[in-house]
Amino acid sequence: MKAITVYLLRFALAATVLTIIFRYFLSQGIDAGSTITVILSAVLYFIGMFILGWYFGKKDGNYLPFYDVGFRFHLTTYIIYNLISELWFILEFNSHYENFFTIHRTVFIWGGFLLIHFIFFLWARKRTINNLNKRDLFE
Amino acid sequence: MKIEKKLQELLSSWEETYKKGQLTLWIFLSLQEGRKYVDEIKDFVEEKSNGTITCEEQSLYRALRKYEHVDIMSYELRKGNKGPERKYYYLTDLGQELFNLFIKRNIYLFYSDEIRTLLKF
Repeated sequence: MKAITVYLLRFALAATVLTIIFRYFLSQGIDAGSTITVILSAVLYFIGMFILGWYFGKKDGNYLPFYDVGFRFHLTTYIIYNLISELWFILEFNSHYENFFTIHRTVFIWGGFLLIHFIFFLWARKRTINNLNKRDLFE
Repeated sequence: MKIEKKLQELLSSWEETYKKGQLTLWIFLSLQEGRKYVDEIKDFVEEKSNGTITCEEQSLYRALRKYEHVDIMSYELRKGNKGPERKYYYLTDLGQELFNLFIKRNIYLFYSDEIRTLLKF
């Protein structure tokens, strides 16, 4: 599929590593009752993901400027984060104080935002030819 | 001298606007001669436009990728004299039809007697 570019795959790989690190410190922090670890790991994860998205998104745009209002990167992040979280529980790496319900609630709420983003994506697609902006196609 | 400087500035400003959108035409024109790889396209564009159109290799690659993505251009891999295989680009049937229609609607205008008289050539 043409929408899966090399930069999107590199982003997915980097996001997977970062998410695993985040999950590790989150569970450790909760187990140890360390609020600072929990907050710090969440903040650093957010900053890290933002930088990854920015960096690979820019590279991806220079390679082939898909006019998808960031939807491919959002969807990738959603899948990776939630898949790792599910596996984290299945493999019992989670903290004793975490429960499956929290993970599923995240999937549901975030899924709602993803759906809204998807509607924006569909709306933006009207202005494209093969997902490239009509106005930016010819130079 | 002041007028000449102003004239040059106005000309540059106009050309800057005019050139936007010209690269595609020149790339497509270059491929009317036959299949070409990136360096050959670049040389054609710069030489035949008398240097008025210059293109960075990176922007040329980006443009080619976009045309390829919307199925108006494709390439075949051929062995170069030395080194790795090269991508030789060509217009697909859709691309050629697009080029023909564009020329008919936008370039042939300049060949009508009326416009030629106004252009004084």
